[in-house]
Amino acid sequence: MTVRADNRFLDTPMRAVECRRCSARVEVRKSSWHQTSVQWDAAATAACHERPHAQPLPGPNGKFFESCSALQASIQEAALGGAVPVPDDGY
Amino acid sequence: MTAVQDTDEIRRIEAEAAPTRFARGWHCLGLIRDFADGKPHSILAFGQKLVVFRGEDGSINVLDAYCRHMGGDLSQGTVKGNEVACPFHDWRWGGDGKCKQIPYSRRVPLRARTAAWPTLQQDGMLFVWNDPEGNPPPADVTIPRIEGATSDEWTEWRWYSTVVNTNCREVIDNNVDMAHFFYVHGSFPTYFKNILEGHTATQVMKGLSREDVRPPAKEGQPKLLGNTSVATYHGPSFMIDDLTYHYENMDLQSVLINCHYPIDANSFVLQYGVIVKRSEHLPGDAAEQLAIGMGDYIRMGFEQDVQIWRNKTRIDNPLLCEEDGPVYQLRRWYEQFYVDVADVQPEMVERFEYELDTTRPIESWRKEVEANLARRAAAAADQPQPA
Repeated sequence: MTVRADNRFLDTPMRAVECRRCSARVEVRKSSWHQTSVQWDAAATAACHERPHAQPLPGPNGKFFESCSALQASIQEAALGGAVPVPDDGY
Repeated sequence: MTAVQDTDEIRRIEAEAAPTRFARGWHCLGLIRDFADGKPHSILAFGQKLVVFRGEDGSINVLDAYCRHMGGDLSQGTVKGNEVACPFHDWRWGGDGKCKQIPYSRRVPLRARTAAWPTLQQDGMLFVWNDPEGNPPPADVTIPRIEGATSDEWTEWRWYSTVVNTNCREVIDNNVDMAHFFYVHGSFPTYFKNILEGHTATQVMKGLSREDVRPPAKEGQPKLLGNTSVATYHGPSFMIDDLTYHYENMDLQSVLINCHYPIDANSFVLQYGVIVKRSEHLPGDAAEQLAIGMGDYIRMGFEQDVQIWRNKTRIDNPLLCEEDGPVYQLRRWYEQFYVDVADVQPEMVERFEYELDTTRPIESWRKEVEANLARRAAAAADQPQPA
């Protein structure tokens, strides 16, 4: 099985974003103000300050880390500042 | 007249044959209670025939079904003590895969060992570890405990099993496919996010109840508003869905299992189960009734999937719009289970998050629901009144 490239990511590639809190570097793509893709690597995961302190959620799947709020804020800034382009089509 | 030249190339659907290798990971074979009758059970899985049997010591064992002596089918044999006895010549095989005795022979020959699968009995379910490389399960690759499964505050498992004649990648794809929940299953997702990391793939979904699909609440019954679901694949085939239904006056907690094991490259056994948490709002056997009702509703959902799978084609290059989920990234994650451990690439296991923008889907689906309700109201008005 060869896994192919996502046609959407070929048209608009990901951009590097650095977290303002821990300097983790991730790759980000936004297709609208409310859509976000974030690709982490091992170094970014290890650098995250929020993750080690995240409380597991209740329930059998509670161990997963839903999101880093500092990174989300950094991505929002990058989008507002134009470092991560956001298509302007009314959404 | 000249033919109009279409400059756009036609997009071709591409698909390689489904892999003949089977995923590395824990696979649930079903409920322990269904294997605990002291008889050998025949299971077609991973392109082979397996025998599952519980010994007198209570341990459940999984072996290759074919006796290494003359090829007899152990799943047609008998459990004797802690061993399964072949129906052909009574050779006795232990859960560790070793031939323990041959009653008519003075000694067991050398190399009398067959394939045995590591097993796990947990929360009422039986799991087998499949690994084409033959390694035991790593300590950090586990199935999390489901508290409700062993608690009196929850119902027993309501369990279903069915054979599906397609490659099991189809059922995996659903984990990131938001729009099909509206079009195939009559759900109304309003929030949808996937998080792929390590050997887990999580889907967080919030949704509204569809008035145009579900019958309206009966007089005196609470109205269903919506649901919150956290569904995680723990490995290639076992998904736990922590599912809460929100009613006007209460929340209803349930856990749904969606799991499968491959029979061969082009068929798999799909299994699903449900437990419901008892509550003061569910007197008597109302929780059991609800679990039955939910199970039947989920069965309907999978039948809807099966109907799609039966007729669709395998596609390796799906053409995605921005309101689709991360199908390619999910398949990249899924690929880790089909390669040797040494060949697992960082990008298969590194964390990937994808949050969907549901603004446009919600707009569109609201209109569709309203149109359906208007059509239903018009049809009801046209019905002749009973005399």
